[in-house]
Amino acid sequence: MPECKSLGPEKFMKKKSTKLRHWRQLSQILCFILFLFLFIKTDYSGEDNIPYAVNILFRIDPFLAASVSLANKTLISLMWPCLIFIGLTFFLGRFFCGWICPMGALLDSIHGFIPHINQGYKTRYHSLKYYLLGFLLIAAFFGLPAAGYLDPFSILVRSLALSVYPALNVLATSFFTFTYQQMPEWVNMLTEPVYASLKSTILPFRQNHYELTFVSFFILLSIFALERLERRFFCRNACPVGAFYAIVARFTLMRGRGGSKCGKCRNCMTVCRMGAIDEERNISLLDCNLCMDCVDMCPGSKIFFGLQPKAVATPAFGLSRRTFISSLAAGAALPFFLDARTMAKRPDPYLVRPPGALPENEFLNRCVRCGECMKVCIGNGLQPTFLSAGLEGMFSPRLQSRTGYCEYNCTLCGQVCPTGALTELTLAQKHITKIGNIFFDKNRCLPYAKGIPCIVCEEHCPTPDKAIQFREAHVLNSKEEKVLVKQPYVIDERCIGCGICETKCPLPGPSAVRVTSAGETRNPQNALPTQSLPY
Amino acid sequence: MDRRYFLKQVMLWSAGLTAAIPNFRIVPELLAMEKQPPKVIHAKGKDYYALVARVLEPFGGIGKFVKTGDNVVIKPNMAWDRSPDQAANTHPLVVKALVEQSLDAGAKRIMVFDRTCNEQRRCYVNSGIQQAMESIKDKRLKYYHPDTRKFVPVNIESGKAVNRLEIYKDALDADTYINVPVAKHHSLSKLTLGLKNSMGVLGGNRGNMHHNLGQKLADLATVVRPKLTVIDATRILLRNGPQGGNIDDVKILDTVVASADPVACDAFATTLFDMKPEEISSTVAAYKMGLGEMDLARMQITRA
Repeated sequence: MPECKSLGPEKFMKKKSTKLRHWRQLSQILCFILFLFLFIKTDYSGEDNIPYAVNILFRIDPFLAASVSLANKTLISLMWPCLIFIGLTFFLGRFFCGWICPMGALLDSIHGFIPHINQGYKTRYHSLKYYLLGFLLIAAFFGLPAAGYLDPFSILVRSLALSVYPALNVLATSFFTFTYQQMPEWVNMLTEPVYASLKSTILPFRQNHYELTFVSFFILLSIFALERLERRFFCRNACPVGAFYAIVARFTLMRGRGGSKCGKCRNCMTVCRMGAIDEERNISLLDCNLCMDCVDMCPGSKIFFGLQPKAVATPAFGLSRRTFISSLAAGAALPFFLDARTMAKRPDPYLVRPPGALPENEFLNRCVRCGECMKVCIGNGLQPTFLSAGLEGMFSPRLQSRTGYCEYNCTLCGQVCPTGALTELTLAQKHITKIGNIFFDKNRCLPYAKGIPCIVCEEHCPTPDKAIQFREAHVLNSKEEKVLVKQPYVIDERCIGCGICETKCPLPGPSAVRVTSAGETRNPQNALPTQSLPY
Repeated sequence: MDRRYFLKQVMLWSAGLTAAIPNFRIVPELLAMEKQPPKVIHAKGKDYYALVARVLEPFGGIGKFVKTGDNVVIKPNMAWDRSPDQAANTHPLVVKALVEQSLDAGAKRIMVFDRTCNEQRRCYVNSGIQQAMESIKDKRLKYYHPDTRKFVPVNIESGKAVNRLEIYKDALDADTYINVPVAKHHSLSKLTLGLKNSMGVLGGNRGNMHHNLGQKLADLATVVRPKLTVIDATRILLRNGPQGGNIDDVKILDTVVASADPVACDAFATTLFDMKPEEISSTVAAYKMGLGEMDLARMQITRA
């Protein structure tokens, strides 16, 4: 945006200013397309490594960086790109919110469909975002990781990955299945190439299915719905990233000056999407996202942006000390309730974390619930957790092996994790990383329970020396015939908990073999009973 | 009008009359009628590409099976996310040789696909077959991932253990279906050969096939009838099949086996593992249904 700096008020022609706003729109569109491109590319590409930094959006997020660093009491080196944007904000103010942010772009684009019900320029809960920011950071420090609930990118990517994108595929598939099955040949000549090209470009390779689809979607939807109250309601009142940038923007060099000696038409005030302009036409540094609409709308061309540290008063945050301290206190106190729950003593045994996951507490502290790992999981095995990791663990990834399994030679989830909650494993490391162990249910397993031959589990077991073995046994089947069947059992030292056996078990309903977190490498407390040292 | 011409005409004319769900009625007597000792050709050599041409030569080349204007399905085994040297999938050079020869024979369209067990894209890439197909610059060759819409339910009239299966449409519609399995160990069926490889055209829950696998594979073989079976035994997996992963379990044989009789081809390939055809339940079941020969003494086994 160098062009905004050089322009003084007198140089502003109507035509030129229109152009400025269009530059902003162009930037928003390009950034949004880039965002979607990276989202779609968060997938297996024919190579074992993803060639793009698909998680970059999370790594430029200073709020997540601060929260994750505080939670782990260490600087997360993966998050260094956020420093660039903190630096830029020192010069340009909250330009990120107006020019880059994909959530902001989305809200701006749907503005026409959800007009606000009354005067939209008033910001109701202006200070809320600062309280939230304080609360979230303090809570993260004391061990309650909740940043992912409110971070706009986590909300956006998660709901795209878990609901919008798979639903889009359902829509496309059902449409083209209809044309394929019901329409005459000549229609198919037209539709089938369209479907093929959509499949090779924007549609996912396969139909994925997720837990919490509606929940993730409604969270995004409610942010849209709040546009009824104010334009950019979320950005003005709740966004913790916006709050973080607002604090940095307080010291920014580039400031907008409103018309102090203008005709008082207050066009600027009504047009401002952030509610940053008050009755006296002061433009608040904390809220202005440099969208440049006011520059366009001012009939007298009285508004301009430039380097003028002294000319514009620095606004106050308008916080109530009492409320702020209370929110900090709440953030400091709540974490101590976490370990009072039963799950601190007895975690859900079916909570199997992806390979490379750090020990549970550290993992949850780092995980920002962005959904990248679930998006990239080629087996559709990673699912958002609902309540089994506690309220604060909602949307964190778990392997749900009945839905899908962890592909033996795949290391993508660790590659896309923006915070290192899942460590990036080499293939050799992945092959010996145990995320769980399987158990057979002999009451359901066919060769045990019914004398029917099966061992599909053994067939699929991927370890070179199979973790699933079988013993031949003579049993009576349901017709009282004595039959010879192969009965599977597991060798714990070889099983890595990938869950392909559970996925492929041909029984209807629950699988006869289930993965539990027992024996996971990351937690020695969860070790399996052994008689001697393994390996 | 001789008998064969008559039957051929009856089959052709009745093909158009079948309802939405095709019925397949292959009566054993009909199959038994034209029984001659089936030819089984095997050849050994380091150049796997040339080996395929060599093994087909005694039949009169691939032109004996692929006619000009044919829609050809070449069905390799590429079910696992394993590299060619791990012997879990058909060798890419064997597939490539068959594709190029079929192209030369004037095929209108060649389709290469498999319904995989591991993630589809990883299997296609790491089997080396995708790369081999990409190297063939011919628009008549289509290699693709099965489209879930195109599995059609098929009634298996003569089925003894299964009477209905979902089968991939392209496999049913093909003029020429060439089965190109890799020979390897499998703990339930002991070996996976040609008949087992046909499971790659099945939709639905394939796990259910494993309950009485031999008979169900024979039932499937009444419907999926390859004109040619080429068994890749260039390297065979002796243990930890069907996906292996350990090079120590692989034995290099440099052998390819071909036959127009799917059962005979499997039966002969069994001997490469020092096993007898009777040990493989699908071979026995298919033989009993009259789908082919399993008695090695009643085959013309030739080394090319």
